[in-house]
Amino acid sequence: MDFAWSSEHAALRERTRRFLEAHLPADWESVASQSPGSDAVTRFSKAFCPKLDAAGLFAPHWPKEHGGEGASAWTPFLVGEEMWAAGEPRGPQYYNVNWLGPTLMKYGTEAQKAHHLGRMRAGDVVWCQGFSEPSGGSDLAALRTRAERRGDHYVVNGSKIWTSYARQAEYCFLLARARPEGRAISVFLLPMSREGITVRPIDSVVGDGDLHEVFFDNVAARDDELLGAEGEGWEIVRYALNFERVGIPRYALALKTLHRAVAHLEAGGAFGETAAQAAVAAYAACEAARLLVYEVVDERSRNAPSTGATSMARIAVVAAEREVADFVLDWTPELFTAPTHPMVATHHKRAIAAGLAAGAAEIQLNLIARDVLGLAGRP
Amino acid sequence: MNFELTADQALLLQSFESFLERGSVPSGAHGYVAYSSALQDELGESGFLDVAAQEGFGPLEAAILAERAARSAVSFEFAASALLGPLLAPRGAAGAPTALLWSRTAPARFLSHAKTACLFDGADVLVAAVAPSQVEPADSVAAYPMGRLKTVPKDARRIAGAEADALRRRALVAVAAEAAGLMRGALDQTIDYVKERTQFGQPLARFQAIQHRLAEDATLIRAARLLALRAAFTDLEDDAATACFYAQQTMRKVIHDCHQFSGAMGLTLEYPLHLWTYRLKVLQGEAGGRAEQARRAAAAVWPRRDAESWRRRAEAV
Repeated sequence: MDFAWSSEHAALRERTRRFLEAHLPADWESVASQSPGSDAVTRFSKAFCPKLDAAGLFAPHWPKEHGGEGASAWTPFLVGEEMWAAGEPRGPQYYNVNWLGPTLMKYGTEAQKAHHLGRMRAGDVVWCQGFSEPSGGSDLAALRTRAERRGDHYVVNGSKIWTSYARQAEYCFLLARARPEGRAISVFLLPMSREGITVRPIDSVVGDGDLHEVFFDNVAARDDELLGAEGEGWEIVRYALNFERVGIPRYALALKTLHRAVAHLEAGGAFGETAAQAAVAAYAACEAARLLVYEVVDERSRNAPSTGATSMARIAVVAAEREVADFVLDWTPELFTAPTHPMVATHHKRAIAAGLAAGAAEIQLNLIARDVLGLAGRP
Repeated sequence: MNFELTADQALLLQSFESFLERGSVPSGAHGYVAYSSALQDELGESGFLDVAAQEGFGPLEAAILAERAARSAVSFEFAASALLGPLLAPRGAAGAPTALLWSRTAPARFLSHAKTACLFDGADVLVAAVAPSQVEPADSVAAYPMGRLKTVPKDARRIAGAEADALRRRALVAVAAEAAGLMRGALDQTIDYVKERTQFGQPLARFQAIQHRLAEDATLIRAARLLALRAAFTDLEDDAATACFYAQQTMRKVIHDCHQFSGAMGLTLEYPLHLWTYRLKVLQGEAGGRAEQARRAAAAVWPRRDAESWRRRAEAV
C-alpha cells in the first residue's frame, strides 16, 4: 500500500493538462456550461475526441488489438479526472471509451467489435443508453420493452425515459425483454435511425439534451444486433454498470468549483472562520470520495474481486457533490449568475443528477448492507 | 497509488493480529475502561511500537497498526507511541507509552501509565519523561485511563518550529487512525447486535432504516481510515488536518447510530459498546476538535496569497 503517484501516472496527468490547455478554446467554459448532450458540446466533442485519440489520451486503456496501449485501469481515471474538471470536452463520448467499448469487447461478436469499436475510436459517434422506462428506473427488473421474435428478426415495442443524449445519438444500447416469461433481458445495439423510433426531448433543470423519452413502435432488430446471447442482459448490464457507477470522477469538478468559490470569497475579503469550517467539510468530503474511488480503480487495475468499494465510492461521491453544491449556495450564490463563472451553475446541475444517474444511490446502500455488512440475510 | 498491502505490510499486520489475539486481554468482565497494563508491557517488548523506525517501514505502517489496534475492546496506548516515538526519541523522551496532552491542565489519555508526555503548548511542543507520581488520576466518563499532570516537569524539553509542526502532524494522524479503528470496532459490535436482536418479529438488521444508516457509517469509516493512512504516508499538513477533521466529524454520526441501534443494551457495561464510543468521545475534542482541524486544513489548502496564486490553485485542481 502506498499513496504516491508513479512517475508514469504523474506524467500522464501533466500531459493531459497540457493537452487541455492547448486544445480548449478561450470560450470553452461557456460551451461546456451547456449540457453534455447539447448541440454545441456534441459538436465540440466530435472535433475534440479524434485529436485526443491522436495524442494517445482517448482510449489508452483499450487493449492493443483494439488500437489502445493496454494501459492500466488508472489511465482512464487520471485522464477522466482532468476531463471532468475541465467540463468534459468529450461530451457524451466519455462513456464510449469508459464502459461501452469494454463491454462490447467482452460480449460482442467479431463483426460487432470491428464495426462499433472502430467507430468509437474515431471519436465521432454518440450512443444513448436505453435503460430506464416509465415502469422501471432504479428497479431495472421492472422494464417492459419487448423484443418479440418474428421469423428471422426481433420486433421491438415499448418506451424508454430519462434517456440522455437520445436526440444526438446514432446508436442505442437497448435493454429489452425477448422472452415474456422470467426475469431475463437482452441487449440490442440499435441504430437510432431505424424506422419506428421516435425521440421526444423532456425539458429539465439539468440542461438541454439530457433527458428524453424514446418510443419504439414495431422497430425491427436484426439477430446480429443482439449483444451476447438472448437473455444474457443482466450479466452484461452488471458488467457495464460496475464501470459506470464510479465512471465519472465527479469530485474533480466539485473540488474545482469549491476552490473557485473560496478564491472568490477570499478576493472579497469574506473567507472567514465560519466559511472556512464549511469549506473544509466540503473539501474533506471530496477527498474521502476520491480515496474510495481510487480504491475501486486499484481493485480494477489488479483484477481483484470487488470488496463493496464500488457502492461505497458512489455514496461518498454523491455526498461530496452535495457538500460542494451547498457550500456554493450558502456562501457564493452570486457566482450562479456571474458571467465569469459559467461552470458554477453547471456544477450545480450535474451535482443534482449525481445521486440518480446510473440508478438511485440508495440502491447502493442496500447493496452495502447486504453484501458488505451482511445485514439482509437470515440471522 | 496502490491500496493493496505489500507482502511485508500484510505479514506485519498478520503478526500484529496474532499478537493481539494471544495478548493479555482481560477475559469476561471488561469493566468500564478495560485498560491492560500487561498487554501494554508486552507491546513494549514486542517491537511493534518501533515499526515506523524499522527499515522498509515508516509512519504508514505505524498508522495501519494503530487503526487495527483501536478496534480492540481492550485498551492500550499504541498510536502516539508508534507514530511520534521515532521523532521524540532523540528529544529527551523516555520511551513508550507516550501520552498526548492538548493542555497543561486537562486530563489526558494514558498519562497515568505513560513514560513520556508530549504536551502541545501553543505552537510549541513540550516533551518530558513522566512518572506515575507526577500524575493524578482524573475522574472521567472516558473509557481510557485518564490522568492529569500535577505540574509540568521542570526538565521538559521545548521543541519549536518545523520540528513541532512535524510532531503535531503525526499527532493528528495518530488521533485520526485511532478514531478510524474505534469507529470500526463500534460498528462491528453494533452489526453483531442488530443481527441478533429481534423486534416486531424480525432482526433489527432487516429494517431498511437501520441498514441504510449502518451502510452510510461503514462508508464514512472506510474513508476515515484511508484519509488517515494517506496522511501518514504523505506527511502533509493539509492531509493530516483533513484526516483528523473527517474522523472527528464522522464519529458524531457513528457514535449516535451505534448507540441508537444497540438500544438500552448499549447503556450497560456488560455490553462493550462504550469501550469504543466512550473512547471516541474523548478523541472528538482532542487537538482542538474539528473546528481547530478546519482552521488548520483551511490554512493549508487555501493559503492566503495574492489573487494570481488563488487563480492558479483553482486552475490546478
